[in-house]
Amino acid sequence: MTPFDIGATAIGVLVVLILIGMPIGIGMLSVSLAGVAFIRNETVAVRMMTQVANDSLEEYLFAVVPLFVLMGLLVTVSGVGKDTFDVFQKLLRRITAGLGVATVFANAVFAAITGISIASATVFSRIAVPEMRRHGYTNRFATGVVAGSSVLGMLIPPSLLMIVYAVLAEQSVGRMFLAGVGPGILLALAFTVTILILASTRRGFVFEGGDEAVYEDFSPLEIVFKAVPILSLMLIVLGGLYGGFLNPTEAGAAGAFGALVIALLRRSLDRKTFWRLLVETGQITVSVLFLILAATFFSRMLALSGVPRELAEFFLSGNIGPYGFLIAYIVLIVALGCLIDSISIMLIVLPIALPVAEAAGLDLIWFGVITVIAVEIGLLTPPFGLSVYTIKSAMDDPDLKVGEIFRGAVPFILAMLVTLAVIILLPSTATWLARL
Amino acid sequence: MSHENTPASPTGEATESGLEKVWHRLVETFAALGTVLIGVLMLIICADIVARNAMGASLPLVSEGGALLVVTLVALQLAATVRAGRMARTEVFIVPFTDRFPKAGAVLEGVYDLTGAVVLGIIAWASIRVIEKDIAAAEFIGVPGLATLPTWPFRVLILAGFAVAAVEFAVRILAALRRGGTQ
Repeated sequence: MTPFDIGATAIGVLVVLILIGMPIGIGMLSVSLAGVAFIRNETVAVRMMTQVANDSLEEYLFAVVPLFVLMGLLVTVSGVGKDTFDVFQKLLRRITAGLGVATVFANAVFAAITGISIASATVFSRIAVPEMRRHGYTNRFATGVVAGSSVLGMLIPPSLLMIVYAVLAEQSVGRMFLAGVGPGILLALAFTVTILILASTRRGFVFEGGDEAVYEDFSPLEIVFKAVPILSLMLIVLGGLYGGFLNPTEAGAAGAFGALVIALLRRSLDRKTFWRLLVETGQITVSVLFLILAATFFSRMLALSGVPRELAEFFLSGNIGPYGFLIAYIVLIVALGCLIDSISIMLIVLPIALPVAEAAGLDLIWFGVITVIAVEIGLLTPPFGLSVYTIKSAMDDPDLKVGEIFRGAVPFILAMLVTLAVIILLPSTATWLARL
Repeated sequence: MSHENTPASPTGEATESGLEKVWHRLVETFAALGTVLIGVLMLIICADIVARNAMGASLPLVSEGGALLVVTLVALQLAATVRAGRMARTEVFIVPFTDRFPKAGAVLEGVYDLTGAVVLGIIAWASIRVIEKDIAAAEFIGVPGLATLPTWPFRVLILAGFAVAAVEFAVRILAALRRGGTQ
């Protein structure tokens, strides 16, 4: 067998192993170990794997992962999400389906202080869904809005997926963060338009019964008071990052510390909760970074086999061309999104696809934004829509069917596809800010 | 994840032997140490920000030490993550399959655990050479004369983390075998 055959076989075996449920990191390590052993020999394979295990995570940048995760979990318990929602519902209650729009905007703002979609989905399914239900919105729509807008968390910086992409594509994390701002706002607007269209053309999808419930009222002073914590966290993280005071790792540390201070000031954090959050942070961090470690070895094995080079030739020498490749890539990612979680998809696909994209001369920042949005569609598609399951478990309502949430999320998937098309046709929506 | 019948689950608790309890404690201790490191990481980086913006000079060791801490905390918490069933994986096939054919599903899980034990075991075993090299070369981080730290204690913790995770995979196989035997 030529190295190419070995590499191609390894990819096939890995896909099968992942589908039948082997932990993805373990699958990648074992397949890559066997691949290198066949291409070179066992000694080289073992040395390469050990070197990757000891060195690949030894990067100051990776400290950003636990720090932003910790920050996200801290703001989740400290009630900052509820305040953000309150501010927007006060501002938007007069327009049609105002609570739906308020959920989108609150999510967009909340996304600016948390890097994980799961955090947004958890927080807003407990805050926004009951409030919308009280005001006569359907269960389907209320949960669908929360599921849809939770994807903003991974697009608007800080974002865990952007960090992972930046690492794999060797792009600056700061630039990737900037590249997410435009598309994030665009997607939030697309969601708003979707809600307004639904509310005017398909009232039955959005509302059941009239709305007699009274709104909780807040004085302007209360609104300001509620807006202060989230604004100060945004100022620390985004201001620090873009003002050039902080690098991404430091922004994560400062943000986590700020979130800790807010949680302590609001007395929402006892010692036990804090320890539980730290443990949770650790587990998320390990599962993400262990995957990165495994993917590093996988991509080195692939580089040895020459598969990405041959793939690039195949796509670029024939009549498929860069855009044909891009379409095939998006279709593949969305299809994988039905089965595998976001970060795993990126770590499996990117080692193969990045060399092709680079050879095709695609802008890797733009390519990254497209990747993140395509991957995020997977959060909403059955049977493995992570956001949907998060909402289901956060709601703790036995009458709420998972299928109902999936159906509610469909309009938002369409909005994401439209946004994706706009970004493909107008790359500057993503790259303009990042290349400034 | 309901199908993850780790010994920590209520059904397994009753049959947990003394040795298993000790092992359990070891895994927990490693994880707790890793958890503390996350807090340490946050504090030293914040201290570095303050030092740089207030006194105009970065603290020594922070960037290199932070990098080493990341690898260390991942290695230390790996076993606990394995035990909690939090390793990322796809459940579209294995969950319905195990519901339908519990025995075959358990065998498949056993194969995965065995692969995990072997791969991580190889990493741990081959890392001994890395430590020997670090000690022989007296590798350190930091700036000589200002502040330095030898790297080998971190390397030992990393190796220990991988080794404990490998054994944890093996322990899962044993626990599954014993459950199969008592049924």
